[in-house]
Amino acid sequence: MGKVDLDFKPSVPVFDACITVGRRYDRYIRVDNVADTLATMDRAGVQRALAYTPHALDFDSVEGNSYLMEMIKGQPRLVPQFAVNPSFDDLPLMAKSMKQHGVRSLRIAPKFQRYPFREWVLGPFFDWLEANRTPVWVAAEEIDPSEFHATVSGRPGLRFVMSQVHFMHETWAVPLLMSLPNVSIEVSRMLQPNSFNKLIDAIGAERVMFGSRFPDSAMAPQLYYLHRSGLSQSQLQAVCAGNLGRLLGKG
Amino acid sequence: MAKIVDTPVIDVHAHVGQWGAKFRPASPKMYVDIMDAAGVDRMGFNCIYFDDERKSHNVVADWVSKYPDRFIGVAFGTPRHPDETIPELERAFDQLGFKYMKIYPTYYTKPVDDPSYDLIFEWANSRGIVIMCHSSNVADWDTLTLPTKFIGLAKRFTKVKWLLAHSGNAMRGQVLAVEAAKQCPNIYLEICTSFAEAGTIEFLVNGAGEDRVLFGSDIPLMDPRYHVGRVVTADISEAAKQKVLGLNAKKLLGL
Repeated sequence: MGKVDLDFKPSVPVFDACITVGRRYDRYIRVDNVADTLATMDRAGVQRALAYTPHALDFDSVEGNSYLMEMIKGQPRLVPQFAVNPSFDDLPLMAKSMKQHGVRSLRIAPKFQRYPFREWVLGPFFDWLEANRTPVWVAAEEIDPSEFHATVSGRPGLRFVMSQVHFMHETWAVPLLMSLPNVSIEVSRMLQPNSFNKLIDAIGAERVMFGSRFPDSAMAPQLYYLHRSGLSQSQLQAVCAGNLGRLLGKG
Repeated sequence: MAKIVDTPVIDVHAHVGQWGAKFRPASPKMYVDIMDAAGVDRMGFNCIYFDDERKSHNVVADWVSKYPDRFIGVAFGTPRHPDETIPELERAFDQLGFKYMKIYPTYYTKPVDDPSYDLIFEWANSRGIVIMCHSSNVADWDTLTLPTKFIGLAKRFTKVKWLLAHSGNAMRGQVLAVEAAKQCPNIYLEICTSFAEAGTIEFLVNGAGEDRVLFGSDIPLMDPRYHVGRVVTADISEAAKQKVLGLNAKKLLGL
């Protein structure tokens, strides 16, 4: 009969590279507050999580990021990620707020925010990112792969993380990762058969990070999948926490 | 602390056939290797890629023959060629030993309760067959397999056991699927989906009952390890986990 672990907990420290906190304007969310999020993290065996609030993308980054900080109120297990709209926001003001709150990563949504992901639009923003060594998360559905490749390949000093890569994006996501060594991936939606093995075979384990996209997905299942994928202990440690910590300068 | 148990793990939702257009490799060995890694004993798969039930059943039978102790054949029915359907379903169950069947209205492009499906449902009802059907409501336009459409079907065809694949997919569909299961004791819910929010397994089990929720993966679209993970890490009892993982399928399918 099948051997399954009915009380699975990860065997390594875990730093989740993609969660959200807070309610949504357009639908009910089963877990929408910090207390329940932390309880979920405890049950899943997750020590830390990189958190943003969708309000900062859906409506306004300044107000949304401030809302995020109100909600997480210095909770050390929730590491804040700010959303930014580089075509609208006051970048020096954003930079000041990031420094004030110790924020080390950003998230953008080029399609939703309606700007071409091109050097001629985002040049100053890219200059700032590079100078401050700030990585940027972009959801796969927000990426035009050709545009992204053309732009990012011209900026090898930048660091990007592809987020929420679904099987619909698979045909271009892996080749893009193979050709752009400054792009990493968080695997919250990589549910395809043997996806981690294929990914690590293609690009190595150093640019692969566990993410859950909680609460849009449950937090622990992808950890279970990772632990049953035949990864070495060092690969598991890197994917589950080490790579993200290094990217954020948080160890 | 880990709690490794020997318990039947039966994946009731899988597809076979080649789908290179969607970047989906598939082979019997690949499936068995993944099953071993996931802790899955047996897997029931169908082939829905051809508009030809005979061809579909031959593909499935060929796969099953490679690992007959691990694989379960699942028939496919479509009303598009009605003269072919019933003879072929009878061949699938009576000669090929298939255990249940799949319908897929999305490819037929008509709703699951379209009268043209009655041919299949009447036959299945006469034999007490388990019919698994895609069920989904991710957005307002997604209604062909709206979970509440199955209520009328389940009340008309009471000897059919209706297995709602994906349990409606996203939360709005899950709510309808649970409602359907509450109204009809012959409606069951299968868990696989890439849309499921946190708390889905708990919602389905608490809503429909732990005896009526079944594990599936939708391989080759998704890996069974992820969906086994959804069950074993859910905030439900150990007994419920074992039922969802395979005891319910064993009972429903007579395995």
